[in-house]
Amino acid sequence: MSAVGTAARSIVRRRKVQTFVIALVVLFSTLTVVIALALLVAASAPFDRAFAAQLGAHAIVTFDRAQVSGTQLEQTSGRPGTVAAGPFDAVVLEVPEDFLWRTAGPLVVVGRPGPGGPVDRLDLVSGRWATAPGEIVVNYPAGGGRPADLLGVPITATGAPTLTVVGFATSMSGSADAWVAPAQMAALHPTARQMLFRFSAASTDAQVAAGVDRATAGLPPGAITATQSYLTGKRAFAAMADSYLPIITVFGLLGLVVSVVIVGNVVSGAVVSGYRRIGVLKALGFTSRQVIAVYLAMIATPALAGCLLGAVSGALVAPAILKIAFAGIHTGTAVIAVPAWVPVLCALGMLVLVVLAALVPAVRAGRLSAARAITAGSAPRAGRGLRAQRYLAGLPIPRPVSLGLGQLVTRPGRAALTAVVIVLGVATATLSTGLTSTMVAFAGLDHGDGVPVVDVVVGSPGNQHAVPERTDKQIEELLYAVPGADTVTARALRQVRLLGHPQPIYVNFYRGDTSADAEQIVAGRMAAAPDEVVTGPSFLTQHGVAVGDRIILELGGRRVPVTITGELIGSSPEAVDATWALLDRLAPGTPAVDYTVTLTPGADAAAYARSAAAAEPGIMVAARGPGNAATTTIVTFAAVFTVLLGAVAALGVFNTVLLTTRERRRELGMLKAIGMTPRQVVTLTVTSVTALGALSGLLAIPAGIAAHRLIVDHVGVVAFPESMKAVWHAPQLAALAVAGVLIAVLGALAPARAAARLTVGEVLHTE
Amino acid sequence: MTSEEIVVSLDEVRKEFGDTTALGGVSMRIRAGEAVAVTGPSGCGKSTLLNMIAGLDRPTAGTVTVRGEDLGRLTETGLALFRRRHLGMIFQFFNLLDDLPALDNVALAGQLTGASARQSRIRALELLGELGVAARRDSYPAALSGGERQRVAVARALMNRPALLLADEPTGALDSRSGEDVMQMLLDLNHSGQTLLIVTHDPRLAARCGRIVEMTDGRVSRERTPERAA
Repeated sequence: MSAVGTAARSIVRRRKVQTFVIALVVLFSTLTVVIALALLVAASAPFDRAFAAQLGAHAIVTFDRAQVSGTQLEQTSGRPGTVAAGPFDAVVLEVPEDFLWRTAGPLVVVGRPGPGGPVDRLDLVSGRWATAPGEIVVNYPAGGGRPADLLGVPITATGAPTLTVVGFATSMSGSADAWVAPAQMAALHPTARQMLFRFSAASTDAQVAAGVDRATAGLPPGAITATQSYLTGKRAFAAMADSYLPIITVFGLLGLVVSVVIVGNVVSGAVVSGYRRIGVLKALGFTSRQVIAVYLAMIATPALAGCLLGAVSGALVAPAILKIAFAGIHTGTAVIAVPAWVPVLCALGMLVLVVLAALVPAVRAGRLSAARAITAGSAPRAGRGLRAQRYLAGLPIPRPVSLGLGQLVTRPGRAALTAVVIVLGVATATLSTGLTSTMVAFAGLDHGDGVPVVDVVVGSPGNQHAVPERTDKQIEELLYAVPGADTVTARALRQVRLLGHPQPIYVNFYRGDTSADAEQIVAGRMAAAPDEVVTGPSFLTQHGVAVGDRIILELGGRRVPVTITGELIGSSPEAVDATWALLDRLAPGTPAVDYTVTLTPGADAAAYARSAAAAEPGIMVAARGPGNAATTTIVTFAAVFTVLLGAVAALGVFNTVLLTTRERRRELGMLKAIGMTPRQVVTLTVTSVTALGALSGLLAIPAGIAAHRLIVDHVGVVAFPESMKAVWHAPQLAALAVAGVLIAVLGALAPARAAARLTVGEVLHTE
Repeated sequence: MTSEEIVVSLDEVRKEFGDTTALGGVSMRIRAGEAVAVTGPSGCGKSTLLNMIAGLDRPTAGTVTVRGEDLGRLTETGLALFRRRHLGMIFQFFNLLDDLPALDNVALAGQLTGASARQSRIRALELLGELGVAARRDSYPAALSGGERQRVAVARALMNRPALLLADEPTGALDSRSGEDVMQMLLDLNHSGQTLLIVTHDPRLAARCGRIVEMTDGRVSRERTPERAA
């Protein structure tokens, strides 16, 4: 082994605790960064990858069959910068009954000869392609499964022959709900023609719009009935993940900053504490470069171990977190996983970061003269903060406390870095507390502030439960009649066409008590009239509409213009809420699919559920549990990052105190020799960082509150009202202020107790 | 100035560090007002013996009694409190706090006992005056000469009026003139009644004490008075 290797190994062996701390800090930091990056990547990359693999359509344009011929549309494919597929005949069928997993309503059917082609290459996930009359392939929205059991199911649409499902395919473009052979289309009476376009530039809405204009130039005006950009689908895909992005980004940035600060602090400290050794090495004949190499090797050894373990841990933990983040999202063929390059990049990046952080103090050390290095290694330079020390010595406080406070001014750089670490730890705790409070308040909307609530789902072939013998009204009467019921709200669900958009939307129709829903309005008012609807922020954004706008809904040939009268806190990006009166206009006689029963305060929800289910076997009744998926996810994220960053912050403090007590061994030994008790040594040592913790806590709380505000203002799928954003109360803030002290004390306690156990004789004798 | 009061009593004190025996069964007594020098070659156990008497380390066997207190029965905190009240220590390398001026270095020992900063500084200033370094009260250790630093260290050791002053090679880091000054100062203190135990390998310094304890290989090889030695 070379002299450099021997020297580096001896330092690593001698400074086991220091080495362990470096490895642990780097491990936690790498783990945090892997999780953050995995979530950031998963929010867009899987869609892009799956979309690219299918040569997805940047624009799906639907034309009025009466106004434009197939020959005219075929000419659009030769336009510069454009690749096209089609024209395909298309029709919107009305399916009167629920089928497969879908609710009754419109079904966009397109005639295609096969799943391939230059654009929108479908993935056939089960069965085969429709080639003969009477066969249909249905779009399967969620990837991963193989719905082979559903093959052979018949679909009966109004005015169309019965079609049998022979396959399931997935389109990342969302070009249709189902496909049939072109020859079948004549029997379905197509009303439209569909063109699928890919453009050379399609990164923005403007580029997609320009591509459509270029491709359709020269066609009769008014021929286009609907245009769907892939960006809408991409936003819908990432809607849930996007809503977490502000949170993930803030936590990820916090993790990176903490990592940089702690690694810098640890490395500088390790180099500074090794100055005496540097002097000895130089005296032995080591060159400056060799000294630098020794220190880089000394840091790189534990850092490499930390990077590797952190990357592996991150790769193991991140999939579970991704699973939570993407639960319930239609992912198509997109694979939500942690790409192998994420942990690799994080490990390499962190290692580079550590080496860079070590380089500056190592170079400084390499340039030191041997004599100066040996002198510098004994203790911090005298003369720093002397006036402050003098002032503190005269204060009427216990001397160990004033001595501890004095240590802050002896190494102001180290104190500042430690303060930054504590600030970030407390800011994270503050942010986490705020998010939890906001999300608990949000979840409370569905749970009536402690009032028991029971969910009732009507049995149907779709949910594989017995169909009720009672009618919709009779079920509602039953639910009122069971002891404990206070109010009953019925909900019907239908898919309807939104004019100007090729994909249907869902409409929730409510009957009965809707007072609880009124609390979810953040702008405008609840829908009251038959021509009014309300919806959430993601629907408004993705469909380019706002409160006050008019949209036209169509179902079964009935068109009803409606006004968006209010914005809900949050709802599906594909759904609006309306009154039962609108259902009577669009699809009269449609029964409720589920009911929400609010019980009287103190009623036994479980007993109610048992009684209702016994009275009507055709319904599924369950008492509603606490929390919801979004709340659980965000609170889980917040908790995971808070624990990680809190642990890293405490480790940062631990390292600082460890360095300081090592440098001050002689002083501590002397203080013990003149009568300082072990408890006083602990007091002195802990005080030095407790004061920092208290100060840092005060600085961190406003930062955490600002970060909380930033996040809750930018969650795409939820528009929180001010009451849910203003979650701060004095006792909570006081507790958070204590968090800084707690991090400081937790980090300082172990090295402080070790300092208290110093054997004075050895310490002073070795001097 | 000696009396019959026994300040220090060691009975068959042994100290082992692994396989190495630092003290191999030392017994000795020090009476109030005595000035005792412990001498011997490097590694003979002088400093270990001093550490045992100061309660800085615990014996493997035997008992150490100082002012009637069996140090082996005291906890770490009890030992610290005992040192604070009854012992003063002087080190070869002074061990002053670099960040405090001379006055506050001395006052620190008083403040540890709970005395106010003002009271402690008054007492510290008196001591610095008695030891001839009052003019350097506001100087930091880095600005003091070796002899001045040791005088400040002696002042700090005397701050709480200790029954026993322990000095480990007090002149070892000083030039000959400063060393002579410090030694004379310690002997003056002894003449005024201060019990003194000095560890030194300098036979000339040892010869100026009332009793010399010579150690070899962890044992007391000989005890004598300077007159006999002479």
